[in-house]
Amino acid sequence: MPNDIGTEAVGPLSFDEAFTLHHRAVFRTARAVVRDSALAEDVTQEVFLRLYRNLNATPGEDLLRAWLLRVTLNVARNTVRGQNRSMVRDNEYHKSSVDNGFAVEAPEDDYERRVAIEEARRALDKVKEPMRSCLLLKQQGLSYREIANTLSLKETNIGSLVARGRKEFARVYGKIGGKR
Amino acid sequence: MTRCLDEAMLQSYFDGELSGEMMERATLHLASCSTCAAAAREMEEEIQLLTTALGAEFEASVPTEQLRQRIDAAVLDQRVGAASSRERAGFGAFVSSLLSFGTQRTLGYASLAMVVAFAAIFGLVKLRTTTEQPQPGNQVAVVPSSGPPSTPVVSPEINPVQVKSSEPQKNRDNIDRVYRSARPVAVKATVKANTGAPASEPVKLIPGERAYLQTIARLDSTIKANKKAMRPSLQVEYERNLAVVDRAIAATRSAAKKNPNDPDTADFMFAAYQSKVDLLNTIADARFGGGRSH
Repeated sequence: MPNDIGTEAVGPLSFDEAFTLHHRAVFRTARAVVRDSALAEDVTQEVFLRLYRNLNATPGEDLLRAWLLRVTLNVARNTVRGQNRSMVRDNEYHKSSVDNGFAVEAPEDDYERRVAIEEARRALDKVKEPMRSCLLLKQQGLSYREIANTLSLKETNIGSLVARGRKEFARVYGKIGGKR
Repeated sequence: MTRCLDEAMLQSYFDGELSGEMMERATLHLASCSTCAAAAREMEEEIQLLTTALGAEFEASVPTEQLRQRIDAAVLDQRVGAASSRERAGFGAFVSSLLSFGTQRTLGYASLAMVVAFAAIFGLVKLRTTTEQPQPGNQVAVVPSSGPPSTPVVSPEINPVQVKSSEPQKNRDNIDRVYRSARPVAVKATVKANTGAPASEPVKLIPGERAYLQTIARLDSTIKANKKAMRPSLQVEYERNLAVVDRAIAATRSAAKKNPNDPDTADFMFAAYQSKVDLLNTIADARFGGGRSH
């Protein structure tokens, strides 16, 4: 809807637009790090609050996603410190989500998918930083430039880091039994 | 002829990160070098594996609605805190600064309405403890015909318990914080709005009240004209908050009328009006945001 009142500028993007465009990437990145949907929601909220507080200091549209995901990784890593990673909590969260009606899936499909997620996570855990973060961001469709910006790395190194991370992942994942 | 492709180069090739010239060179080389072509096939398989393995993670549902609500509420909390500590130069400047706000933050406005409700209760308690005044009989809230017609001023005989029971759930620390910081600012705004005549006429508008009524009427008509564009959930929230604020206005107004010489009662009333202006401004902005995509 056209609107020229009540939008806060983020470069050419408003806060609302920034949320609409990027909340998925933020939430997924957060969830991949904290391994818990409820915690990932907390992280997402904190990230967008920081965006709100820094509306005038954030980069323009082209690098906003990189900025958001850098904050996401920081907040998520701080959150995960001292947290006990477990599937149990996430299962409970998921159940309540289904009860609340915002996730509808058949339970069996869901279980299989969750096992698959867990296997992938275990393999990803074995990949060292910064390769792991490179993989995570690459899989979300970020360009090398955005990845470099998010992780404060040189753009020319990203290709090599992604390649090494991917190789390591494939090796470990094959061992875990993901290759079915 | 050309050099073999290293790992990074090959990865960039698959990720579409090579420049046009490099891309062309890599494609040519892959067509002519069986070693590199084999490496490329292997890499392609691994990329496929990675995409499939992490696909489940990234395709899992994202609770967009829930996130939006949480973030809107959190942002509103921020704004309420910021607004209460902001120095308000004058009423006009304040209203225009309000217009620059964005997304709906109704939840936090519920907390602001709470502040007003507390103010109303406090005002009524104070009223009872002060000297019994002869009732002029016409102390009922009257909006003169010059005033805007759309201002809903409900019965002034409001039971404080009733106000309290309709309070939306909100954490108390937050309310206290807002209350403490908001009060002095409200006093300041009132003093500036009071230009001239002392608040002594019982039937007429209390000085400074007209500006609020006009602003409210303007916002109200804007919102009414666009009500259909509002999200249903927001509309319900809006109406509930509006009712709380209106009750608070009625209660504080009646207290102010009964105690024309007590500046505190007028302050409470202006604080209540201010809450309504804030709420209307938020809604006026939010109806655009609410109509946008998810």
